[in-house]
Amino acid sequence: MIDVKSPRQRRKASKPAEIMQPDPGFQLSKQIRRLQRRAPLYALQGISELSVRLKQMTGHDVIDFNRVMEFVQFLYKQQALARRGANYAVDDFGFDPQWTESFIDAFMVLYRDYWRVETTGVEHVPATGRALLVSNHAGVLPWDGTMIKTAVFAEHSHPRHVRALVASLFMGMPMLSWFLRRTGQTVGHPDDTRRLLERDELVLVFPEGVRGTGKQFKDRYRLRRFGRGGFVATAIRSGAPIIPVSVVGSEEIYPMVADLAPVAKFFGLPYFPITPFWPLLGPFGMIPLPSKWRIQFHAPIHVENYPPEAADDQNLVMALADEVRDVVQQGIYDNLKLRRGVFL
Amino acid sequence: MSNPLGAEVARRLAPHVPYLFGCDVADPISALESMDFVHADTRHAAIGKLVRQLRVDTVVHLAVMVDSPHAERSIHETDVIGTMNVLTGCSAPTSQVRRLIVKSSQAIYGAAATDPSFMSEDMTSIERPATSVTRDLLDMEALVSEFALRNESCQVSVMRLGFRVSEDTTLARYLSLPIVPTFAGFDPRLQLLHEEDAVEAIVRSVLGDHPGVFNVAANGVVLLSQAIAIMGGRPAPILPPYAAWMARLGMRALVRVDVQAYLADVIAFGSVMDCSRLEASFGWRPAHSSREVMDGLASGKNLEVIEAPSPPQEYELQVYLQQRRRREARNGHHTVKVLEAHK
Repeated sequence: MIDVKSPRQRRKASKPAEIMQPDPGFQLSKQIRRLQRRAPLYALQGISELSVRLKQMTGHDVIDFNRVMEFVQFLYKQQALARRGANYAVDDFGFDPQWTESFIDAFMVLYRDYWRVETTGVEHVPATGRALLVSNHAGVLPWDGTMIKTAVFAEHSHPRHVRALVASLFMGMPMLSWFLRRTGQTVGHPDDTRRLLERDELVLVFPEGVRGTGKQFKDRYRLRRFGRGGFVATAIRSGAPIIPVSVVGSEEIYPMVADLAPVAKFFGLPYFPITPFWPLLGPFGMIPLPSKWRIQFHAPIHVENYPPEAADDQNLVMALADEVRDVVQQGIYDNLKLRRGVFL
Repeated sequence: MSNPLGAEVARRLAPHVPYLFGCDVADPISALESMDFVHADTRHAAIGKLVRQLRVDTVVHLAVMVDSPHAERSIHETDVIGTMNVLTGCSAPTSQVRRLIVKSSQAIYGAAATDPSFMSEDMTSIERPATSVTRDLLDMEALVSEFALRNESCQVSVMRLGFRVSEDTTLARYLSLPIVPTFAGFDPRLQLLHEEDAVEAIVRSVLGDHPGVFNVAANGVVLLSQAIAIMGGRPAPILPPYAAWMARLGMRALVRVDVQAYLADVIAFGSVMDCSRLEASFGWRPAHSSREVMDGLASGKNLEVIEAPSPPQEYELQVYLQQRRRREARNGHHTVKVLEAHK
């Protein structure tokens, strides 16, 4: 049928379009929902008022409101990350930079407040391009790796992600393997190291391996053998400078007084530590002690100037490995002198 | 010929070769005018006779089962004994075979927690605890490499194809579940291969001149949890790690997906291949990344399959109706009803 009305008439007779919403199902009342939405804000207001009151009463900061805000930011970041769904990309090693950066805040608390890490020489880490960080390894759990990662990300003028190499043993552990891969770690296989360096990444390697983390408290700050120098050969082949790193403080977080080798063997672990608190206090024994840490990045050793064939020269490789080891050991002694006390 | 990969390879090869001959135990899924076809079983010596009688100069051996509902025994028969027959057929003194292309699989590497992040071609090892499929593939490739050593006049290419997720693969069925049981505490990297890229790789290896073993898999990886999210499912980390047999039993009982032993390892620990040799030799990389393969599977999940449309008009009508139904279904969630202004 042909419409006889003019556009003007049609406009006059028209009604606004009605939008049909789908049935939302069960919902709380409007007031309660509004309260739910605003609850975080009210809580923050309360905390800020409390902190101001406490400051007036006592004269110094009891609640640091900046720290509270950092925690809230952390929660919001996690919420935003959860909203990504499948819309994120990981690199070929399974590294998710966004996710890792959201966790830097949590490690910053350990870095700044718990272990009060003092970092020197971070300017030796190149802002771009490949490099191999070689560090001493200590403490029963590899907290030193996380602190070196946090140091480079937080203190360097160009925040970079350090990709640590971990023992393949840890890649077989539930949860841990997932966390390690997601935050950019990979297996300590020469092939993996080469591949990471060829992508111009910063690679962190602990040549001592589990011999370093599993040493007892009486052997603290005495470096173990630096593997078979494989890290030097890989660095020469990939043309990456070696940056020795000395970490002081990691030895005291879990003072290991004995190693129950039969138990370790039963669970397939490299060592089973006995500390004054573990396994006596159960899970509380896993809380690391608040020792004072110092991390020093040393001047790079330019092994990239050697031709790639030099990597097959075992003499040269072992000599360079020893040189790196000496630099790390000397750095440990220097930093131990600079530290006023174990927990100060 | 009776599976999509073989049929597509034949279709793509047909214009490039003077004479094409296919054989399979089942009927081919698509009729190809320029191809002769015969029912023959690689497990019998008849295949050798065929090769010699027809004076075949290039053999593309795709009858290697990896993802198959058959029993382990019959997979072994097809993969190892079948390949042995094909090789025997090709190595007769009167044979004129100059090129042999053998399909293999990423499953040859197995998957373990302690593996390096990338498997290159020389990292296969018989020492590791291997599943039956991995062992069969290792046996098969050992036979092939022995053949290559003895017959220097024949160029042999082994194509280790990555895991594919077309509709009928176990991995695709697993990932398409609404609630996907995964191994508790593990989120492995998956590397996939698009069907088109698998075909392209085999066609290129036939037409080109690339002897050797090659890994063929897509660029990049997706995490298992990411793949499940792309498919619109929800991961349920309930399977016990390091008890693959228990996990397989559980999956068979709970979600009715029979995940093979090698695939259970892949779902637990992930498997990623290094394809740099393929790139260097072929000058070509698979066109679809792992993410794109997954996206393709996810978008294909919503499509309905239209069964055998006879006349073209009928087909177009069906497609139109399907599109309309889909459009309606899409709008159904959030209905916007515009009332007519005039009655």
